[in-house]
Amino acid sequence: MKNKKKWLAAPYGVWAVGFVIIPLIMILYYAFTSQENGTFTLVNFAEVFSANNMKALLLALLLAFVSTVICLVLAYPLAMILSSRSVSQTSFIVLIFILPMWMNFLLRTLAWQTLLEKNGVINGILSFLHLPNMSIINTPYAIILGMVYNFLPFMVLPIYNVLIKIDKDVVEAARDLGANTFQTYSKILIPLSLPGIVSGITMVFIPALTTFVISDLLGGSKILLIGNVIEQEFKQTNNWNAGSALSTVLMIFILISMYFVNKYDKDGEGGAVF
Amino acid sequence: MSHKLLDLINISKSYDDQMILDEMNLYIRENEFLTLLGPSGCGKTTTLRILGGFETPDSGRVMFDGKDITNAPPNKRALNTVFQKYALFTHMTIAENIAFGLKIKGRSKAYIDDKIKYALKLVNLEGYEKRSPALLSGGQQQRIAIARAIVNEPKVLLLDEPLGALDLKLRQDMQYELIRLKNELGITFIYVTHDQEEALTMSDTIVVMNQGYIQQIGTPEDIYNEPENAFVADFIGDSNIVDGIMIEDRLVEILGAKFECVDIGFGTNKPVDVVIRPEDIDLVPVSRGTITGRVTHLIFKGVHYEMEVQANGYEWLVHSTDMVPVGQEVGLHVDPFDIQIMNKPESEDEEAVGIEE
Amino acid sequence: MKKHITRIYMGLILFLMYAPILTLIVLSFNSSKTRAKWGGFTGKWYIALFQNDDIMQAFYNTLIIAMLAAAIATVLGTMAAIGMNSMKRRYRTIFTGVTNIPMLNGEIVMGISLMLLFIIARVNLGFSTILMSHITFNIPYVILSVMPKLKQTKKSTYEAALDLGASPVYAFFKVVFPDIMPGVLSGFLLSFTMSLDDFVITYFTKGPGVDTLSTKIYSEVRKGIKPEMYALSTLLFVTVLFLLILINMNPSDKKHAIQQAKELERLAAGGKKHRITKKLIWGRIVPILLLIIITGGGFYYGNRNKSSAGDQVIVYNWGEYIDPKVLDIFEEETGIKVIYEEFETNEIMYPKIQSGAIAYDLVCPSDYMINKMLQNDLLAKIDWDNVPNAVNIGETYYDKSKEFDPTNEYSVPYCWGTLGIVYNKTMVDEPVDSWEILWDSKYKNNILMQDSVRDAFSVSLKSMGYSTNSTNIAQLDEAQKLLVAQKPLVQAYVVDQMRDKMIGGEAALGVTFSGELLFMQRENPDLDFVLPKEGGNVWIDSWVIPKNAQHKENAEKFLNFLCRPDIALMNFDYITYATPNTVARDMIEDPEVRDNPILFPNDSQLKNCETFKYLGSEVEEICAKLWREVKSS
Repeated sequence: MKNKKKWLAAPYGVWAVGFVIIPLIMILYYAFTSQENGTFTLVNFAEVFSANNMKALLLALLLAFVSTVICLVLAYPLAMILSSRSVSQTSFIVLIFILPMWMNFLLRTLAWQTLLEKNGVINGILSFLHLPNMSIINTPYAIILGMVYNFLPFMVLPIYNVLIKIDKDVVEAARDLGANTFQTYSKILIPLSLPGIVSGITMVFIPALTTFVISDLLGGSKILLIGNVIEQEFKQTNNWNAGSALSTVLMIFILISMYFVNKYDKDGEGGAVF
Repeated sequence: MSHKLLDLINISKSYDDQMILDEMNLYIRENEFLTLLGPSGCGKTTTLRILGGFETPDSGRVMFDGKDITNAPPNKRALNTVFQKYALFTHMTIAENIAFGLKIKGRSKAYIDDKIKYALKLVNLEGYEKRSPALLSGGQQQRIAIARAIVNEPKVLLLDEPLGALDLKLRQDMQYELIRLKNELGITFIYVTHDQEEALTMSDTIVVMNQGYIQQIGTPEDIYNEPENAFVADFIGDSNIVDGIMIEDRLVEILGAKFECVDIGFGTNKPVDVVIRPEDIDLVPVSRGTITGRVTHLIFKGVHYEMEVQANGYEWLVHSTDMVPVGQEVGLHVDPFDIQIMNKPESEDEEAVGIEE
Repeated sequence: MKKHITRIYMGLILFLMYAPILTLIVLSFNSSKTRAKWGGFTGKWYIALFQNDDIMQAFYNTLIIAMLAAAIATVLGTMAAIGMNSMKRRYRTIFTGVTNIPMLNGEIVMGISLMLLFIIARVNLGFSTILMSHITFNIPYVILSVMPKLKQTKKSTYEAALDLGASPVYAFFKVVFPDIMPGVLSGFLLSFTMSLDDFVITYFTKGPGVDTLSTKIYSEVRKGIKPEMYALSTLLFVTVLFLLILINMNPSDKKHAIQQAKELERLAAGGKKHRITKKLIWGRIVPILLLIIITGGGFYYGNRNKSSAGDQVIVYNWGEYIDPKVLDIFEEETGIKVIYEEFETNEIMYPKIQSGAIAYDLVCPSDYMINKMLQNDLLAKIDWDNVPNAVNIGETYYDKSKEFDPTNEYSVPYCWGTLGIVYNKTMVDEPVDSWEILWDSKYKNNILMQDSVRDAFSVSLKSMGYSTNSTNIAQLDEAQKLLVAQKPLVQAYVVDQMRDKMIGGEAALGVTFSGELLFMQRENPDLDFVLPKEGGNVWIDSWVIPKNAQHKENAEKFLNFLCRPDIALMNFDYITYATPNTVARDMIEDPEVRDNPILFPNDSQLKNCETFKYLGSEVEEICAKLWREVKSS
């Protein structure tokens, strides 16, 4: 009986091989072959480590890191607030995170241009209040803002998922045993919500690291991230081999985060984002 | 026993307009094993949480050793709690769980190690230091939770239905274990349960609560033998609660028959509630019974037979070591001192605490 | 106090999440076509929306792809989950690992990996490739939603059903399936939403003529989003908001409403315990409504396509470089369906033609790029017998074309103009007559540069008096250094966004094409254009037919149609770029436009100007590299 049932996974198995595994092998194949004659080469990786590409990679890592940290700092209290409250607050989650998804994310990101521009809405309000204007559009700060804006839900939801499963008694037990608020967080809540945090960090860090859209829309094409470089290699320069090599480098980061997710989130508690 | 260690003065607490505790007054003496007993929703857990510092009362004061601790946070109280669902820290080993409170107090490593050893020995789990709490059975987890609390040497240990999740045999073992611990440690236990048997077995003092009011405070014997009202009588053990009329001192009429009793001071021809424990009804030949009836049900319970006897329009519950077959006529007799007379509830408040079935 | 801080904090988050959405809603009522200016309140875009086939088509594509992908992924994923659940541990671990890949993989990596697969397997990029890709990234979400439900299901109930005589299949559908149904449903909804919002993967796996809302928006980003798009998004958003309110605030039963909220929360927070209690709304009305809308809309647009599906021409043109009405007229007159795609720069266009992944029939590159395509043997000769209207194009323009198409056999000029500086008179006091002003630190953060190699380098080269076609490496290096030095002053590198930004007063100076001026001045009279005294680039964009075109005759028909004076005039009115169609130019009524010296400069004005030439692959590569260095410096 059981043996028959497992064959139900066969179509998916075939699908996954065809559309997940083989395409990834394609990338590896292109990464290790030369553009001219398709023979084995490491030239493409030399391209990866050229000063410009390294710069784009490092900048992407930096921006992704900063936005991940900001997301975490913003999301943890929010998840705490949401998890400590009952029914009436839950529609708030939908309101914050699900509903906006029905507005296309490109449009939402683009709207930040209108908000942040020199003569944009926010500066309009600031001048009205006689406050100094800010000019972060087309700077890395605007990109970070866009990343935080787009990926915040991916941080809040896994943490929230884990937090609501933590028994309130455990927190009270810690208080009872003499822990103050800070100690309760550092020794109990944060370690217990670690699966959610790790899951959230990867869910934010990876898309932030690989994005080319946000940097494109909010960076004024002045700031190239690794995602932009890859996109250009495929869509403009037409050097698929170099683009594949860059993607291979990205995959290494993705593998690292997969390792962490598997280590800290064995039950897949934080895995389901939505 | 000695002075009042804990004193709850005029405590009121409500959630969303629902009164949980109403002007409650209760004191606990040092070294006492006090049990808060009542059905769910009676306010016993809220009382415990107010003691533990997890809730602040809407009004009233909590005094500890003469000091007002009403607004002190849990971590500033010399009490520790054993939670119903254990609340062990699953991300730590057992040793780390037990060491938690001590580390926060900044005790030396040697001291902590000693304490862990001692506590594990106390709860019969030596050698479990390195294990993860998730891999323990319910009873073991419970004992770790107790160990984690007592290493902090609290003046008072609060236990919130700690045995609720255990099976019967384990529960009975743990009851003895707790009594032993209390005697060895010499600290005050405040115990919350809805299990009357547990309460009767372990307590020095039982506080019976219902719907936010204290119904009766007394020793297990007092509570069992002299319930002050129908609720207590019904909640503690099985009982026959029937309407009666106090004809005069020491004479009560129940279902048309006159019984001698020992109660006085209820006035004359006054309606009252009468409580008679099933084991206090003697089955006698028809000729000698105060009233007579017919056995309708019979179950063998091991130590005794449980019978229902239809007599004078009431189904009497009787426990007896003598077996009377179903259908047989039988006489019922009750010794005067086994009849417990209670006033009928007078005010609405008292009505509200009536029996809920 | 704590409560207040909580409130304020949640308010701030809410503001962060909703500020852009409010902005978009406001923009949907803006009567001005550019987002940079508030032109008064209007509802016209909501009407225009339903007449805009492009957007509606993209919208229905999006819905149909999301629907199909979610449905197929749900079936495959549910089967997979059941199978995986009864596997041995080792195999299950492998399957779980594979399932995690699309979830954790960067979208871009997944997108290009699928694109490579399709191209190598010679699958034509199009609707089906998008669908397959969406199914691929949806399946893991379904498995993740169904798996926990499956784990909760007691084996004993299934066995009890078998014991009572049910067949395994019957037992499954009667006993197991109802238990996992909530997981299956939330998996479906999740997939649907993910599909709907996806851009990156669609972007890499889509083919010509197929657009989802996301890719449509992305192609519009550079030239300014059509206001109809804001209207559509607002409608979508409001519809969903309305549905949510309806479900949340069921007045009949407060407890029910609470349950509903819980449901939604579960749906939001894990999709694991999602259990549809309000069956009537979620289970019946919403899906049926959706189904009616989708099948109805899909049928409607499918039919429209069908009527002309047999004959088509695939056109690849610059953004905002044709009057959409022209396409309608052509389709009406000839019955040939125009599949229309847009590009932003020559450099983006070229690899698509070269790779041959998509067989375009008619493309509109610039001079030097045509030269390059010609040298790389990518173009087909035009059969002039099929394009009699080509004579309407002025002889001088054919002459000029000889620079890149020496035999005049491959290209028909479409638009031409110069590269110069557009400036805002209120923000620039001094007379603008030289490229040098673009290096004046007074205008830091007030300069917009063209985001394309040749244009950017020609500014830099010309400012030093070099040729725009310089192949001298030293000169190019020098030019690059100048561009790097300029970068701190530059606000942004843009292409078509130049319009919105200049109109909105975001910048004082911008490098752009002469043809932009008419449109810009209409919206903001403070703007003016100058052709710097050092000269610059005079360019021609011409139509060419790639060698691998599948519908060459249709392409020539379309080309002939575009050369018709009335059509050329329509396009001129729309694009505002100078037309080489002299017959059409003579038909322009307004003499100020017809003889505008900026739009139609004479030879003396153009004496310092050069046409771009193809520099050869080597120099081109060097330039591309130098430019990348500028961009990433």
